[in-house]
This record gives sequence, structure tokens and C-alpha cells, in this order.
Amino acid sequence: MDRRDFIKYSSLISAAGILPEWAFAAGRPQRQDKILVLVELKGGNDGFNTLVPHHDPLYEIYRKNIALLPRQTIPLRNSGGRALAPSLKAIAPLWNNRQMAWIEGVGYPDTVLSHFRSIDIWDTASNANEVLDNGWLSRLLPKYKKGLHGIAINPGQVDLGPLDGSSLNSVTMQNPLTFLRQARYIEDVELSRQTAALAHITNKQHQLYDVSKQINERIGKRGAARNVMRHVRGEVGHSLESVAEMIINGVDSPVYKVTQSGFDTHANQLGAHNNALFQLSEGLASFAEAMKRFKMWDNVLIVTYSEFGRRAKVNKSAGTDHGTASAHMVLGGKVRGGRIYGKHPDLSKLDENGNVRHTTDFRSIYATIGKKWLGQSTPWNKFGTIPFI
Amino acid sequence: MSVLGFTEARHLVSRTGIGEEWDVINRTSKLTLDQAVTQLLKQKNQRVPAIPRFSSWKKMDLLRKNHSRKMMVRRIAKVEGKTLQTWWVKHLLTTKTPFLERMTLFWHNHFPSSVLKTNQASFLQKQNLLFRQRALGNYGVLLREVAKDPAMLLYLDGHTNTKESPNENFAREILELFTLGRGHYKHADIVAAAKAFTGWGVNSQGKFVNNITQHDNSIKTFLGQRGNFSGDHIINILLKHPRTAEVIAEKMWAEFINISRPNPRTVKRWAKIFRDSNYNTATLVRAVLTSKEFWDKRNRGALIKSPIQLAIGTLRTLPYKLPRHGIEHRLNILGQGVFKHPSVKGWAGGADWVSTQSILIRTALMQDLSGGRFSPNGRVANRLPNVSGEHLQQWLLPTKPLTHIDLTRDKQRVVRDLVLDPAYQVC
Repeated sequence: MDRRDFIKYSSLISAAGILPEWAFAAGRPQRQDKILVLVELKGGNDGFNTLVPHHDPLYEIYRKNIALLPRQTIPLRNSGGRALAPSLKAIAPLWNNRQMAWIEGVGYPDTVLSHFRSIDIWDTASNANEVLDNGWLSRLLPKYKKGLHGIAINPGQVDLGPLDGSSLNSVTMQNPLTFLRQARYIEDVELSRQTAALAHITNKQHQLYDVSKQINERIGKRGAARNVMRHVRGEVGHSLESVAEMIINGVDSPVYKVTQSGFDTHANQLGAHNNALFQLSEGLASFAEAMKRFKMWDNVLIVTYSEFGRRAKVNKSAGTDHGTASAHMVLGGKVRGGRIYGKHPDLSKLDENGNVRHTTDFRSIYATIGKKWLGQSTPWNKFGTIPFI
Repeated sequence: MSVLGFTEARHLVSRTGIGEEWDVINRTSKLTLDQAVTQLLKQKNQRVPAIPRFSSWKKMDLLRKNHSRKMMVRRIAKVEGKTLQTWWVKHLLTTKTPFLERMTLFWHNHFPSSVLKTNQASFLQKQNLLFRQRALGNYGVLLREVAKDPAMLLYLDGHTNTKESPNENFAREILELFTLGRGHYKHADIVAAAKAFTGWGVNSQGKFVNNITQHDNSIKTFLGQRGNFSGDHIINILLKHPRTAEVIAEKMWAEFINISRPNPRTVKRWAKIFRDSNYNTATLVRAVLTSKEFWDKRNRGALIKSPIQLAIGTLRTLPYKLPRHGIEHRLNILGQGVFKHPSVKGWAGGADWVSTQSILIRTALMQDLSGGRFSPNGRVANRLPNVSGEHLQQWLLPTKPLTHIDLTRDKQRVVRDLVLDPAYQVC
């Protein structure tokens, strides 16, 4: 039985209760012209010490010994008095080029202050009191494109996050060459329709084979563009270089996910936070430069996210505890940048934990990505979209 | 009634055990179905490996309340969580009563209480003993005990559920996941149930306590009934609801029959048997394992092996060596770390076990276990049953292989090719 016959039979399997998403009609991988790069800031990033609200007098009062002062920070033109943390220097020029935008007050109602639970909420786009099984991209990508859906670059772990879900064709890897080494044992298999279980397994194995074949063809061979970034430093820098390599060599993934850790800053946060932001900024600046050099910058949208923000006030250990809303960054050639979206949370109205109230639901970012970037209908219409692209 | 024979015994062992041990299959093949199922249901062995020492609730609670030392709670829980995993995995690797462990895992997954949230390994270890003790016992009793179980009270925030500030977490999940399922209650029922459970908590000794001063004595309306309900009343009402048995019957289908949606008539039939037996799990399991659905040829190879079935099952079935660093980390990255459920929904199982990502890890694991030196007279070859290649295939695969396997090669290579075939991933 060949693949074409097999598709005819797939309706039988659907009747048995499993809906397979057959990927083999995908055809030859096409270079993507809309690429989303998600940057997870692991640990809960302190938005107030990232995009610093100098215009709000309560900021310095609350943050005391960890407040960043106007003479230290990088002012943002036409931002109503906001400034960037000094460690974000490398990416600061993108603001003036109108390729950087910020969204303030991003969060969700009844924020859960556990890392695990809250990142699940972000990853699945659920409500605080609801558990959803699949990553939010599983509600956009299967109808957006066939074949490969996303690649998460994860040194040392296998967390697909928003790319998780059996309807998605996504993989995690440390970097493309390590992935190819691991995938060399994966053989292509005939699709079996004997049971829904075998249909699912053979379908997934075939998809994986396809991904490894594609990456091998585009990156594994001689002549592929390698070491495409000029400066590679730190965790996220190395991950972003892998992403850049795959984009430049034409791997057809519409989404990449990278992670920078070190944001759970409970104690002596200035040094630690500075370091994490510095790595982030260096990595992103170098990545943006590579994208411009290879004429891909207009095709890339970079969005940061984090499980939550941090408390408005400094704690006793010169750090900040788990909070609610935070500011997030959007970068890319097509971004309507040089602007602040969302709304700075009211620092005078804190809840019983000392947390601000969010002003922008994180799902409005997802809705914007779905609608404006990927041109899809999304399940998050009620949260509205944000005109950052 | 005739004896099962090799093929049918293999099916029963593979579905109810952890792996397909040659000796067990051959012993089972000489039994009738009735005898074989009776033997499974007799598995009552409560012996487990020596229980490691875990930090007491009292100690952890003191640390938690100390601002400068509360970070230690997480660190201790992380280390003890690993010890706890190793403890159960060791038992899963060696137990002579794998079906009892399968049922313990079944309840462990029906009532998840991850150590990542509770940070209290000692509670989870006790909860694990409870699941094993009640594995084939009465579900009503188990549900009552779980509702008062310290690990569960921590996991779903029951211990912070008071009349001044009710926490709906446990009330929501007992309705959504443990009994009725979505669509069979309203939000107001969650609110009412949360009030009824107020006051249930954990005392300083780490034991269940019913703190009556924290109990909300108001009149509640729950699923159409009115009264000054306590948590026990709520559970009584839930046990009278037909959905409670159906939810367990649906899970039995996913555990023992097929990954695709259950046949509603079968679910109704099993649920009735379960309720008529007053929630006797052994009665329900007997009905499942003797059903025509269980033995239907179309349902062979219709389940996807869980990471535990695949990894630990292979190590129990074949003479491969346990990797030097153990198997716990592999189970974690394959998504079935014991005591570390991803969420209150537990492991979704079924098709969810296999993604493009997990195939890579599952295949690498089989490569690693079956790799090593190939020698026709080596350690591995000598410990494999001395039978033909065809017989090895019938033993290790529930269906025909999907790749081409040369059954005339030496046994060690044939077995390696068989465990790397996609058909080995199903049972």
C-alpha cells in the first residue's frame, strides 16, 4: 500500500476515534516567510527592572536598594520616561530603528505564583483555574502548515512548552548537529493502519524521519552556512545561533523557541538579573544582525515571555518574590516599534500579596501572533489584538 | 474451559504486567482464562523495598515559616523526590506482583499529587502505600481516604481551604477528574463543595485533621440537594452519581483495551457492574479482563506502551543491563516520572506518549539497552530462551513487525531488531 492509498484509509481510523494529521502530503519543505522566535525568560522576569518606569515615582520608593536610577539606564525616546536596564545596551539601537516594541502589564487574572503551574498556563493559554493539555501553538499551526511546526532549542532538557501536543510536528534539540547524531537511528517506516496506536506511531516516526532528513539536507551537508552569528555568548546566544543557522539554510519551521534562565531573582538580584539580561541582549543583538545580513530580518518576529513578573517592592534579601504582570519585548523588521503597548500597571493599587494588577492579557499577544503574523483565526479573539505588527 | 496457550497468555501478561516475561507467559499459558485472572486479582503483596528516611512535615514546616531558610524546602524536596522515585522504580523493576503495581500506578495517575508542588516526599510515600493497599479494593473507600490524605490536601490546597477564604482547587478536581467529569456539574457545585470541605487540613504531626472552627456550617446546595454538608456528605452524593463509575470504566478502557475513544455501551456495562458491586475494583477488573473487547483480535497492538512499560518492561523481559545511572531520568524525560505528574490531570497516556520528540528518546533507549557486544555465546544470548526466530517474534511483538527482520540471524540480533521495530512500542 502506498501513501496515497493510505490517505484513503485514514477515514477508517478516524472512525475508530483517532484523528491523524497526515503530514506526508507536505511536499518539499519551503523556506518560511513568517518565522516566530519565542524567547522564554525562565524563572519569572522582573519587568520593572527590565523596562524601567522612571515616570512612576513609586518605582524608586518600592525598589529602594535595587532601583535602577536614571543615570544608569538607557532612555527610550518618546516612551513617556521609560528606560532600558543598562545590560540591554546591545539591543537598545533597535528602539530608535523602530524595530523594538514593549508591551506593559502582561499577565492574567488570578495569577498562580508557582513556576510550574504558571508556565503551564502560559504554554497552554489556559485560564488560571483550568488545565489544558496542549501547547497554544497546537491551536494555530496544524491548519497553518503541513510538515514541521516548530523546534525548541533546549540545552539539557526536553521541554516543548508551547509547541507540545500530539497534533504538532515539533522537536527539541540542543543544536542541529547533535539532533542529527541522535536521529541517525530513526528509519522511515511504512504507515500502518492496523490499529490507531500503530497508525499514530508510524505517522510520528515518519514525521521525525522527515525532519531529520530535511535538517540533514539543509545543514548536515557541506556548503551549508555555519557559524552565522558574529558574537556568540551565553546560553541563549548559542541557542539563537542554532536558530539562525536553520533559518538561513531554509529549514521550514515556522516557530523556534529558545530559553534564557536565571530570572528567579529572590536574593541580591542586581548582579544576577543584570547577567541574565546581558546574555539575552547580546544574543538577540547578534541574532538580529545575522538576520539583517542574510535579508531575513523582515521575516522574523521575536517575542519574549515568562511565567510571571515579580513583586512591586524589593524584599528583605535585596531581591524580588514571585509576582504578576511583567513587560515583554517584541523585535523584528516588521514590528511597529519605538512604541509602548499595553499599560503600565498601577503601582499604588497592590493586592494582598503586594502584587500589581495586570493590564494586558497574555493571550492578546497570542491572538496578535495568530491573526496578524500567521493570518489565522484564533481562539483568543475576546482578548483583542495589539497593533505591534 | 480450555487453557490460554502462548499467544493469548502473552496478550494477558503484556496488558496486565510490566513487560512480557518468558516464564510468566509460559506458566500463564497452561491456565484457563478464569484461573489466570483469579491469580492476577490475588496479587496482594504489600512488601516494598526499605523505605528511605524522608524529612518530616514538622521539620519542613518550620523551614517554610523561616524567611531566610525557606529556600531549603525546595532543595530538600528535590533531593528527596529523586530518592522517592528511585525507591518505587526499584520495586517496579523487581516486583513479583507487577499487576498490583500496574493498578497502584493506575490510582497514582487517577489521583496525582506531585512532589514538585507538595514538596513533601514523606506524604507521597505514604500515599503510595495507600494506593497499593486499595489497588484492587473498594473505590469508595479509596476516594474517602484520598480526600483526607495529607499529600492530596497539600497538592490541591485543601489544607488552606477555610470558611474565611475557601479554596476551590480540590472541590473542582474531585468533580472534574476524580468522579463526574466535565459537563456534569456547574460552577456553583464547585463553590458549594469547597465550602463543605472547609476545615480539612494537616496537623503539626502531618496527620489529617478536621478543624471544626474552620468549617463553614452554612446550608449548601450541591447537585440539586440542600443541607449543611460536610466533605463526607459530598463524597456520598458523588458515589451515588452514575458518572462516577463511568469515569473509572472509561479509564479502564484506555488502560486495557484501546487508545481510541471507548465504546459507550461497553462503558455503561462496566460502570453498572462497578456500581452493583459497590465499587469493588477487583470485580470491575475481572469484567474488563474477561470481556470480549479485551480479547478482540482487532484490539491487539491497540495500546501504546507507557514509558514504564517500555523501559522497565524491557528490563524485566530481556537480559539487558540496567543503565549505570538508572532509568528514572529517562522516565522523567519520556513524560512518566513517578510522583512528578505534569499536572493534576496526570499523564494523558495513549497517543500522548508518542510525539516526534519522544520517539527519538524511546528509540535511543531501546538502542542503548539492546546495544553492546554481540556474541552468539555471550551473556545476553545465553539468557534468551532457546527457541526459533519465529517464536521470539511471537513473544516480543503483539502484531507482525513493520520493518523487515531476518529471523534466521543469531538470537541476540533478532531480539535487538524486534525491540527496535515500531510494533514493540504497542501492546
